[in-house]
Amino acid sequence: MSSILGKSLTTGVLTEANPFGSSASFGFPVIDFSRCTACEACARSCPTGAIRTEATAKDRKTVSLSYAACIQCRECVTGCPEEAITVSTGVEVAAHTREQLARRATFDIDPRTSRGTFRGEEVVAGESLAQSAARLRERIRGRLGRSLHVRQVDAGSCNGCELEIAATTNPLYDLERFGIHFVASPRHADVLLVTGPVTRNMEIALLRTYEATPAPRIVVAVGACGCSGGIFGEGTYASLGGVDRVVPVDVYIPGCPPRPQAILNGLLVAMGLREARV
Amino acid sequence: MKSKVATVSAALEVPEGAILELHPGEMHLEGTATALPGLAHRVALALNGRLLSLFASDERRSANRFLLHHVWSLPGLASFLRLSTPIDPAVPTYPSIAAKYPAANWFEREVMDFFGLAPEGHPNPSRVALHDDWPEGVHALQKDFPSERTVPRVQGDFHPFRPVTGEGVFQVPVGPVHAGIIEPGHFRFGVAGEPVLYLQLRLFYVHKGIEKRFERLSFRHGLFLAESISGDTAVGHALAYAHAIERLAGLTVPARARALRVVLLELERIYNHTADIGALATDVAFLVPASRAQALREGLVRLQDSLFGTRLLRGTVALGGVTRDLSPSGLSVLRAHLRAFEKEFDDLITLLIDAGTFTDRVDGTGILTHQAARDLGIVGVPARASGVDADLRRDHPYDGYEGLKFEVPVEDGGDVRARLMVRAREVEQSLAILHQVLDRMPETPLTARVPEKLPKSSSALGWAEAWRGPVLHWVGTDETGKISRVKVTDPSTLNWPGLVQAVPGNIIPDFPVINKSFNLSYSGNDR
Repeated sequence: MSSILGKSLTTGVLTEANPFGSSASFGFPVIDFSRCTACEACARSCPTGAIRTEATAKDRKTVSLSYAACIQCRECVTGCPEEAITVSTGVEVAAHTREQLARRATFDIDPRTSRGTFRGEEVVAGESLAQSAARLRERIRGRLGRSLHVRQVDAGSCNGCELEIAATTNPLYDLERFGIHFVASPRHADVLLVTGPVTRNMEIALLRTYEATPAPRIVVAVGACGCSGGIFGEGTYASLGGVDRVVPVDVYIPGCPPRPQAILNGLLVAMGLREARV
Repeated sequence: MKSKVATVSAALEVPEGAILELHPGEMHLEGTATALPGLAHRVALALNGRLLSLFASDERRSANRFLLHHVWSLPGLASFLRLSTPIDPAVPTYPSIAAKYPAANWFEREVMDFFGLAPEGHPNPSRVALHDDWPEGVHALQKDFPSERTVPRVQGDFHPFRPVTGEGVFQVPVGPVHAGIIEPGHFRFGVAGEPVLYLQLRLFYVHKGIEKRFERLSFRHGLFLAESISGDTAVGHALAYAHAIERLAGLTVPARARALRVVLLELERIYNHTADIGALATDVAFLVPASRAQALREGLVRLQDSLFGTRLLRGTVALGGVTRDLSPSGLSVLRAHLRAFEKEFDDLITLLIDAGTFTDRVDGTGILTHQAARDLGIVGVPARASGVDADLRRDHPYDGYEGLKFEVPVEDGGDVRARLMVRAREVEQSLAILHQVLDRMPETPLTARVPEKLPKSSSALGWAEAWRGPVLHWVGTDETGKISRVKVTDPSTLNWPGLVQAVPGNIIPDFPVINKSFNLSYSGNDR
């Protein structure tokens, strides 16, 4: 008994005052389109198709990068001959739609050298972050207040996201101080925190868990696989892909796996206490 | 001294010329299907072989045959032996060895599920990987099955679990969605009051089609898929895959990379064992050590983040080497952290085993007997906790392990306490290994040059003793040098049947702590 008391007293409080803002060494790749020549080296090096190129006309090409599918492997960064891809230090990324996680630029292609010149960045279609946030606020209409009960569902994950979700409960992050609490049943939950890819064998279990959650149920998709199917792909015999293929998703937290502060940030976005940023 | 090939040839009574040493530490013997059970028996008896994997490959397009492979570890010879036998697609059966070697049980049923090859004489030839709503006759790993095919669901009332009868005897279903932040799977307990009569498992909920996926990716991108087989074993699986590719391509990994790979694999072992020990404390509601263990584990993953730019060591292993180096200042940061950690870790273990309230819950709980562990072919931590002395780092050394001094901790109890003590002692050994490696880091480049293409129509085995136990990857290429088959074996596949043996006779409230003491991977098993 005395040793337990002694350990508690000598250890003291470990919880960090501000879990955000600690500079992470690696976030997501950022393409400086003005230096890009649309040579496609990055698209070839990307194992998940997060970077794609498309010839839209004979002399026109688009290059797109989606954080939804990015597994943060850094292959594109080292593979870019123009050194146009750098790494952000921002890891607290969250969005309300898959489209909001993507960037796309158009290039003029010189038919002789097939070298591209940057024309401009396209605005990706669909809702803006602010519009989505307003819609989510309307749906919740103050019902959650400052407390959030979360049921975590592993719908096919490799367990990497689960490790980082579990880490949010450790004494350093201690997410319960934000009023967020993991519960044992979907009947007690406001939010489903779902990791993917959703497998064929978990589809029914995920649907039933969703149906068992009282309205207004919020769904947060975690990780590259939860957002898009990630390295496992979308629409294979065993993997359906992103969580939004099965249930509607309100907040996407990309990353492979997202860091604990990114998960915490995403949950606070779902509560309307922080703004989603990409 | 007889050569390894000669020893195997004498023991199996086959001509020396039939046995090929494909790569260092990996022999191959092809035999007829009828000879297979006899050969397996001799491997087990005369060579002390341990079955670590069993799988099939589809060679119908090039040779009009399937091949069935057994992978045996021969620790006395520091070599693996792959026994393979051709199977005629017109007669898709082969003789089962599961009745004699239960380690083959799930593997053979998986071959049936994914290739349609039936194990003749299997004591329980029912599905293991395919769920009941999967139609008959659809085999996903056959080459002509398109990976994008949507498989319809068969309707019906499925999976009758073993019935229970008698007054007060009933079933408790648990999962697939569990109450904690863990992976999905279904447990069906037959109970009489609180004591468990039996446990049945229904896994493969997180079957993602990983082995099929490998066939669609380039061998370079396969490394990232390997890291995602089990997120807590990123280094273990990446190393096993990289070893297979390197052996296939005949690459020599530079000495510094070999040393750094040991550092990475041991760090992965330490952070996972620490988390598991904390989880045992959580499961018996002993919160002070639980919280200490969580803080220690977080300290380790943050250290990994600061040294390598990744919390869970993803992206650190490269084909032909490693991607990250340790600078001189990084080395001293790592050394200092490990020294402080060692003291804290000792305190943690003392806190646990000095508390009667804790030992009451773990002593004699969830016993896996030595005999059961041997018969079932259990591997890794649960095997060593039941007195089975096996560790690939010592028996089949790879990377920088040869020449390192370390012990393989073995306990006899087979209970939760023994599995806890094996983990605790392994952490001590890992720390000793790390200090040895850090004291003499060779100065060489970090990677060997990887060729553009792999050799045609060849294969190689790669392995690593990850924190749960042995991880094996077998990689085969086709006539163009593209990957045609990757078989992934996570130690969990061999160890889940051990949990089924350890639980009966205990009460349901002890199940979480027994389950946690095994801590098996669902994703690694289901793939």
